[in-house]
Amino acid sequence: MDSYLLADTKTVVAQAKAGDPAGFEALYRAFEIPVYNLCRRICRTAEDAEDVLQETFLEICRSIGQFREDGSLWGWVRTIAASKALMRLRRNKYRDTEELNDEVVGQRREDTHLRMDLEAALERLSETSRAVVWLHDVEGYTHEEIAAMMGKTPSFSKSQLARAHTRLRRWLGEEVAA
Amino acid sequence: MMHLSMEQLLALREPGAEPGTQGARAHLDGCGSCRAEFDRLHQRVARLKALPALRPTRDRWPVVRARFEAERRARRLRRAGLIGLAAAASIALLIGLRGTFQPSIPSAVPAELSEAKARSQALEAAIDQYHPESRVVDGRTARIAQELEDRIAAVDRQLQVTDLADPGQRETQELNLWRERVGLLDALVDVHLTRASHVGL
Repeated sequence: MDSYLLADTKTVVAQAKAGDPAGFEALYRAFEIPVYNLCRRICRTAEDAEDVLQETFLEICRSIGQFREDGSLWGWVRTIAASKALMRLRRNKYRDTEELNDEVVGQRREDTHLRMDLEAALERLSETSRAVVWLHDVEGYTHEEIAAMMGKTPSFSKSQLARAHTRLRRWLGEEVAA
Repeated sequence: MMHLSMEQLLALREPGAEPGTQGARAHLDGCGSCRAEFDRLHQRVARLKALPALRPTRDRWPVVRARFEAERRARRLRRAGLIGLAAAASIALLIGLRGTFQPSIPSAVPAELSEAKARSQALEAAIDQYHPESRVVDGRTARIAQELEDRIAAVDRQLQVTDLADPGQRETQELNLWRERVGLLDALVDVHLTRASHVGL
């Protein structure tokens, strides 16, 4: 992904490491959208996601000297963004409405044969479940890596993913009678 | 017949199948219902990956740049402050030594100067406690804070050259600069506190 987003990653990283504002801005412009997308998929609100986007790039500016150039730049940026977004979830301590939503949706489904689209269903998952789904299924993190970022066990990550898919399947109307 | 659970289906998607998944794999091969469920799972994940990227509504780069530059200035200020402190200590030592050989002239300025320096230190400590570098701020707040920090840095530069002033005017000049510094720090504290109350931090 680095080579796709940045024409000359080495030069830009060297500029940023030297404290050149042009280097920092090039990093921001290259990774702004994927970082925001990741944050928005994890955070509850767009405002939270924008705050996390800002915190992520501030951290990148502070820590670019620690980036080891033998690794993937996007991988490094993404880990900072994911950690910040998960930190925001913990800090906000949103009320987890998963059980309530699940119950309500279950009842409405029987009454109205509700079918949600994928965006809406994803949004309806609890913050934790949504974060696990996004990090595992889309970003490609392993359960071990997710567990380390969340301060939980791999089993927790696996069970969150299974519960999330069970719910998504139901909310998307994909259930079939066995 | 027992069908595969969601956990088992997900486990089958993991690279490097675990030993316990062999039985599940065999079941999947022979069960049309589980095979269909497994395919739906694949399709769901593919659809998740294909969701359009969401974009921020505002350009956050100006705020990031302003905050990062403010942090860098604050770090430089702290370093300059330490150097200034060491220089002030050397000058104080020299004055002390001279004082042992010359009669001192009583004046109200030194007391006011000490008071201004103490107030300045207290305000800096208050700002440090607030940890402004770890806060998220809006662009306007960042700009105001940045302007105030710039002016404080300018006062500090002037303070470093007051030794070159005429000895008769030096103390008064120094006192005025320290008072200005206190005023600016006061304003900086106000900016941080106003912002804190706005965003509920």
